[in-house]
Amino acid sequence: MRSRRGQLAVAAVTFALGLLLVIQLRAQSAGGGLDALSSQDLTTLIANLNLHNAQLRDEVSGLKDQLAQLTDAQTSGQSNVGELEAELQRLRLWEGADPVRGRGVMVTISGPISPDAANDILNELRLAGAEALAVQDQRVVPGVVIGGTTGALTLEGARLPDPFRIWAIGNPPNLQAILQRAGGLVSRIEVSEPSVSIEVGEVNVTLPGSTRPLVPADGKPRL
Amino acid sequence: MNAVLARLRRIPSWQLTLGLALLVLGFLMAAQVRSLVPRAEYSSSELPPLRQTAQDLQDSQDQLKQQIVDLRAQIQAAEQQGQGNSALVTALNEQLRQARLAAGLVELEGPGVVISLRDSTQPLPPDAAPGDELVSAADLRRVISELWLAGAEAISVNGERIAASTALTDIGSSVLVNSSYLQPPYEISAIGPPDLYERLTGAPGFLSFIQDRVQQVGLQLGLLRSDTVDVAAYTGTVNLVEARPVPSSVPSPGPSNALVPPGDGGSP
Repeated sequence: MRSRRGQLAVAAVTFALGLLLVIQLRAQSAGGGLDALSSQDLTTLIANLNLHNAQLRDEVSGLKDQLAQLTDAQTSGQSNVGELEAELQRLRLWEGADPVRGRGVMVTISGPISPDAANDILNELRLAGAEALAVQDQRVVPGVVIGGTTGALTLEGARLPDPFRIWAIGNPPNLQAILQRAGGLVSRIEVSEPSVSIEVGEVNVTLPGSTRPLVPADGKPRL
Repeated sequence: MNAVLARLRRIPSWQLTLGLALLVLGFLMAAQVRSLVPRAEYSSSELPPLRQTAQDLQDSQDQLKQQIVDLRAQIQAAEQQGQGNSALVTALNEQLRQARLAAGLVELEGPGVVISLRDSTQPLPPDAAPGDELVSAADLRRVISELWLAGAEAISVNGERIAASTALTDIGSSVLVNSSYLQPPYEISAIGPPDLYERLTGAPGFLSFIQDRVQQVGLQLGLLRSDTVDVAAYTGTVNLVEARPVPSSVPSPGPSNALVPPGDGGSP
């Protein structure tokens, strides 16, 4: 009788233990993701998603038009050379293969800046919607990063002068605002690297096409 | 002393089992109660609707991206149907294929490395700032920069391709890449030359990253080399608003003379 009661007690406790373990594990796995964000972060995320989804919708409708034009041309027996050329031009400008011109900003950096801070400026300009970037006379494409050490920066194996310039094509007020707003990247760099000074001005500029081979050589398309 | 031991020996084994189980139960209940505290705080505010909105927007972003991938495939197929019409169309299609590869619109497979980064679970060193234990956008940018400098030719992070317009930025305890919300663990996949791994692990910048963030703060870093690394295709927009083509009198992109100083309208 005694051992029967003991077995029951052990069974009850083990059951409760199992239940709690599952609840605990579930609570922990749900801790990641959106649950971890504060309301301020969620608001930022929502604004960001709204903006980006609008851009993606534009892209979808552009692609639908393009597809419609292509199929129309085919059914009416016309050549689609015009569409192909327009698509090729758009891609080559966007990826940095061809020279490009437009409104934008010029960022002049003097003093011993760290390579991380210099690359952060490029990242910040992309965040504000820069459509094309150059450092000195080099178009910035994936793979082009500022290297070296503080006070001895390099770009594509060559030393960068002091001062040096970063150019960006894009909406000038947006590009200027993201760098120069209170608490923005320029003020943060000037606090953490006090001997660096950064000037930002609006320009109309032509940027060269990249001199790098842009088509991957080591990777093969996955079908 | 002997009396105590004898008494202990007389305790039935089921009582010991029960005692042990109760001990574990106590620990778990304490952990449970503690983990419930912040969740109770959340539920009292405006958070659930915000979270739902963010989730809905995220879902529609995933759908839009899938639509873009599908449409790009259909367009490519439609373009190639015109093939054989003329040498011009064939040449244009080949140029388009190359331009898509160069832009990162194509998923790639090749030799390379995969780097995984997780938040630290160790106690922070005394001089660290709060949040230092999390993998930040700056950490990802540092690793990606080192991979490029080591010769990588294509990189993606958790399925987001690092393309010409890609920015990485912090949001809360996570990171936005191409405006997509990513969560740790972060997996950085890079394709490059056969010695990419050696070049990366020998680079002073990468070693100082390991020292600063892995050894001192405790971020968890995994490094894997493989002959079949997958790098995702870029699924964002390829859209230009301000940027215009340069009239074709510039024959080939020259590195120095094509850059026109400010003030000049950029006319060749």
